[in-house]
Amino acid sequence: MRKLTWILVLWMPFTCLAQGSIGSFTGDESVFYAQTKQVNQFFLRFNGEEDNQGRRFYPGDPGYRDLKARKTYLNILFDNTSSVINPDAKFVFIDDVLNKKNPAFLDFYSKDWFAEVTATFTYKKEKVNLILYLKIEKQLNGYKWVISNVYFNKFESWFTHLQDTTNLKYFIHPMSHELDFMNLHKAFKETENLDFYLELGYIPDMTSLFVMEMKNGNLNFVDVNNVKFHIFQIPNWYFEISYFNRNSVNSGWLISNVLRLNDQEKRDLIGHYTHVK
Amino acid sequence: MRKLLSLVILVSLFAMSDRVAAQDNLSPKRKQAVDSLALEKVRDLSKYISIIGDKKTPWSDAQRVIERAVELFMENSEIGVSSLGRQDVNYYKVREYFDRLMQLNYDRVTIDWYKIQYVSDLVRQPDGTYVGVITIYQRFQAYDKEKGLVYEDTTKKDITVYVKRKETQIGGRLIGFWDVMLGDIRVKETSK
Repeated sequence: MRKLTWILVLWMPFTCLAQGSIGSFTGDESVFYAQTKQVNQFFLRFNGEEDNQGRRFYPGDPGYRDLKARKTYLNILFDNTSSVINPDAKFVFIDDVLNKKNPAFLDFYSKDWFAEVTATFTYKKEKVNLILYLKIEKQLNGYKWVISNVYFNKFESWFTHLQDTTNLKYFIHPMSHELDFMNLHKAFKETENLDFYLELGYIPDMTSLFVMEMKNGNLNFVDVNNVKFHIFQIPNWYFEISYFNRNSVNSGWLISNVLRLNDQEKRDLIGHYTHVK
Repeated sequence: MRKLLSLVILVSLFAMSDRVAAQDNLSPKRKQAVDSLALEKVRDLSKYISIIGDKKTPWSDAQRVIERAVELFMENSEIGVSSLGRQDVNYYKVREYFDRLMQLNYDRVTIDWYKIQYVSDLVRQPDGTYVGVITIYQRFQAYDKEKGLVYEDTTKKDITVYVKRKETQIGGRLIGFWDVMLGDIRVKETSK
């Protein structure tokens, strides 16, 4: 912690010189200079692709992806008030990322990261929270964010009987085909039990339900409450970045969680976060 | 002011002009030139906001400045505002935002801009337009004749910048240039 404070103290006078100038107000700007102001800046600081004055380094520039500079940046890119981040994990993570033979970098255009957006909607006039998952997708020579998944607990409540193998009451008997499935009307009478009649292993498509409810006018967007990003680009590591709005040099977009995970654990975690089992 | 703006655009136009061969890619050098154009627009915007918010600005002058400010933006641009006290975001059309700023019910208002700015990378959209974000910080103070300072905040403004490749004929030659427009702005109050 003391080491980090010293890094920040040493770093500050340089950062206060620039990143450019828009106004003339001379209030204390040290927090704003140190703050990781954009996710874009998080990526550049992580990779060592901008100097301490916010000027962009490109391949071939002296200082581009400099290991020493990256070490300084990586230390300040963590939420230093977090009780979730294990200091040992943080140390090993930085060590792995800065591995001299095989250093790791973030890539905005890579598929191994996504945004989790908690948003307020109204569902049949009642205020509700939904989670939207968005990822970067290439189209022609450009890129765009696309909705890759949705989580809404109301949708989940429609499928509480999935995977239930103990039910001995709600099924369509095996000779129904001989009767042109005339008994289907009984199955469809009690809609609360409808999901008993679905195949084992059926995974509801929440995104389709979302689109349907939006188009039917039952679900209406209000606004975004919170945004965070889950990043799986570093081999054997997962980390999350969140925005910290506080009057401190340790503010803006910072790592709010970091875990050492193998590929299978990463897949499990993605499933857990996106509610896809 | 408009003269100066036209001059800046013209100079930038020639400085960045290409022969007919369409140059759609942004090299680091070109990106820097586009960044300065974008920053020029953001500087204009910050200046306009200060004039519109200033209680000494006569109504007719403020209206004229609002017109100039609106011209900086793409059509349908919005400003989303949130504060520390409430979680929801209020969305305003650009003109509505400036009208509200002009009509604020205080005796005196000061709007200062911190020197800092941060310009993101430019990312290409599917339609070929490049998009980036410029972050700036503003200090707002409102005064009442009797009570003095009654409200102050510092806000972070994340301003969308669109950069589009266009072509124009000058003296029979086809000249390519990068046109810069502002888009949606997210305004967040910073923690005190």
